[in-house]
Amino acid sequence: MSAVLVVHGGAWAIPDELAEASVDGVKTAARKGFVVLRNGGSALDAVEAAVKSLEDNTVFNAGHGATLNIDGEVELDAIIMDGRTLNCGAVSSVKNIANPVSLARAVMEKTSHIMLTGKGANLFAESVGFSTVPTDTLVSEFERKEWERHKTYVTGVLEDFNTQWAHDTVGAVAVDSSGNVACATSTGGIRNKMVGRVGDSPVIGCGAYADNFSGAVSCTGHGESILKVTLAKLILSHVEQGESVADASQLALQYMGERVQGAGGAITVSPSGKWAATFTTQRMAWAAAENDVLWSGLDPNERKKENLN
Amino acid sequence: MSSIKTISSAEPPQVLGKDKTTPDETQHRGAGMMPVVVVHGGAVQVPEERAEITISGVCSAARSGYLVLEEGGSSLDAVVEAVVQMENSPYFSAGCGSVLNVKGEVEMDAIVMDGKTLGSGSVSAVRDIANPVQLARLVMEKTSHAFLTAEGASKFARSVGVPEVSQESLITEYSRMFWKKNLVPDANPVECQMEKMGTVGAVAVDKDGNVACATSTGGMPNKMEGRVGDTPCVGSGGYADNQSGAVSATGHGEANMRVTLSRLILFHMEQGQSAEAASDLGLAYLKSRLGALGGVVTVDPQGNWTSRFSTQQMPWAAAQNDTLHYGLNSGEHFRRSFSEQH
Repeated sequence: MSAVLVVHGGAWAIPDELAEASVDGVKTAARKGFVVLRNGGSALDAVEAAVKSLEDNTVFNAGHGATLNIDGEVELDAIIMDGRTLNCGAVSSVKNIANPVSLARAVMEKTSHIMLTGKGANLFAESVGFSTVPTDTLVSEFERKEWERHKTYVTGVLEDFNTQWAHDTVGAVAVDSSGNVACATSTGGIRNKMVGRVGDSPVIGCGAYADNFSGAVSCTGHGESILKVTLAKLILSHVEQGESVADASQLALQYMGERVQGAGGAITVSPSGKWAATFTTQRMAWAAAENDVLWSGLDPNERKKENLN
Repeated sequence: MSSIKTISSAEPPQVLGKDKTTPDETQHRGAGMMPVVVVHGGAVQVPEERAEITISGVCSAARSGYLVLEEGGSSLDAVVEAVVQMENSPYFSAGCGSVLNVKGEVEMDAIVMDGKTLGSGSVSAVRDIANPVQLARLVMEKTSHAFLTAEGASKFARSVGVPEVSQESLITEYSRMFWKKNLVPDANPVECQMEKMGTVGAVAVDKDGNVACATSTGGMPNKMEGRVGDTPCVGSGGYADNQSGAVSATGHGEANMRVTLSRLILFHMEQGQSAEAASDLGLAYLKSRLGALGGVVTVDPQGNWTSRFSTQQMPWAAAQNDTLHYGLNSGEHFRRSFSEQH
């Protein structure tokens, strides 16, 4: 049983000036996560490592490099799920934590709960030794400028999403050599979102889901649309009905486009190691590591292959 | 409660306190499409002394919701009205009467979902409003978002004129006593949750075939500060889709989340299962996969409805046509005719 790890860095109209950095970022994250799998680590460890790498990279909207809410603050959402046990950890609207995915994992492993929000999430973080970092550490110059620009120019969220200036979410899915699947998703949300806005990312079944009986999914795109169709669960319901991971993802994203006019992307892995990276936006930065090969892509139907080592 | 009257000579008489269920009618069918409102008051163990008032509460909520439908309101209007009533009652863990978090404070979660648009509105960890379900609806209708939490949700409430209420107005003697009891080491809040009072919810279908759901809760007794359960999570605490139906769920929040219980039940309905069979499949999976118990109310776009639970009790009521249906203990199904009310 060979292990597989797939990561994404957000589904949106990634501008050319960010393209190379985005693809480099997902490839780096895929390599980091795959090392964990190669050394016999679990799918859960691998997705956490991959998403941490993406959170630490300011080119992506998660952890470092997150967008600001309307009050100029950073509020982060994240989720991690273990397909073997269906255990899950999630945080919403947590402030100034560098690696929300790790905090989500701590919620899963150190509490009897799944989701913690706001101040409660921050109190828990403190209690288990997660340090708070100053906002300026997390927010890039670019994001600060964008926030100021948007303060004086109000656009609807949907318009923003459909312009090239909407950043997005990061995520990873994996299956390890024992056949266990896992997923993780992390985000700073939508630029200039209302204070306390929670998107799809930390909502189980929407931003992500993992189940050893069907597979693992991490989603990205227009959060409110993903919530409407519970996208991650929808994809896996097609897999349960016998569709391939690619067809399942395709069907679900198509449905989301037709039923609620939302665009997005998903990475999906099956317990047997099949995987897919699918999107209905202009672009999605993604990478997949399998055996000795590193696949990556950005534009539709693009699939580049290189040696993992 | 007024005395129970028989509906017609064709039906066996239903008597409060006796275990009588009409055979083969755990799912209730109308001829053609029949609007209905079904409510639940939590998959909990209601103490003996509160049984009557709890049943009265769900019956009253179902009736009020149905009245909204009769007056031309939508299924969304109906479920919100039903849930608002139960939030206002101190006998349910929603709004006033909510269980307390570990610090002795109220933090509430709620969701509404519109089966026509698949739009939803959710709030989590709100502290200072009387009706979280109404705020959830405002999130859906007045913002471009679907989910607001904590201070952000409160900030939004102020901005749209929802009055701020004190924690004291939401805390009852009962919830405080329950909280103190659970502070004792060795107290098991999950087990204790299966006592006293629970999450509330409603589903409905209106004359236009639109379905909707709403769920509202104070959460788990003595939960960690900021703990969010299934209630406000789309697909877990509730889901509504005109193409298949609507569900509102209750039980152990974390377990419902892990199987996305509401969405799971509707997947079964999409594949051709009846509301009852689908609900049973969902609850059975919850038990077999996670060893957890729960309850749901489910409706399909034709007005077929069911209330199913794997716990021993779940106060529930449904209003359809001229009939009020209700029950508390497993297997119970009582009926009362509206037109025979004074």
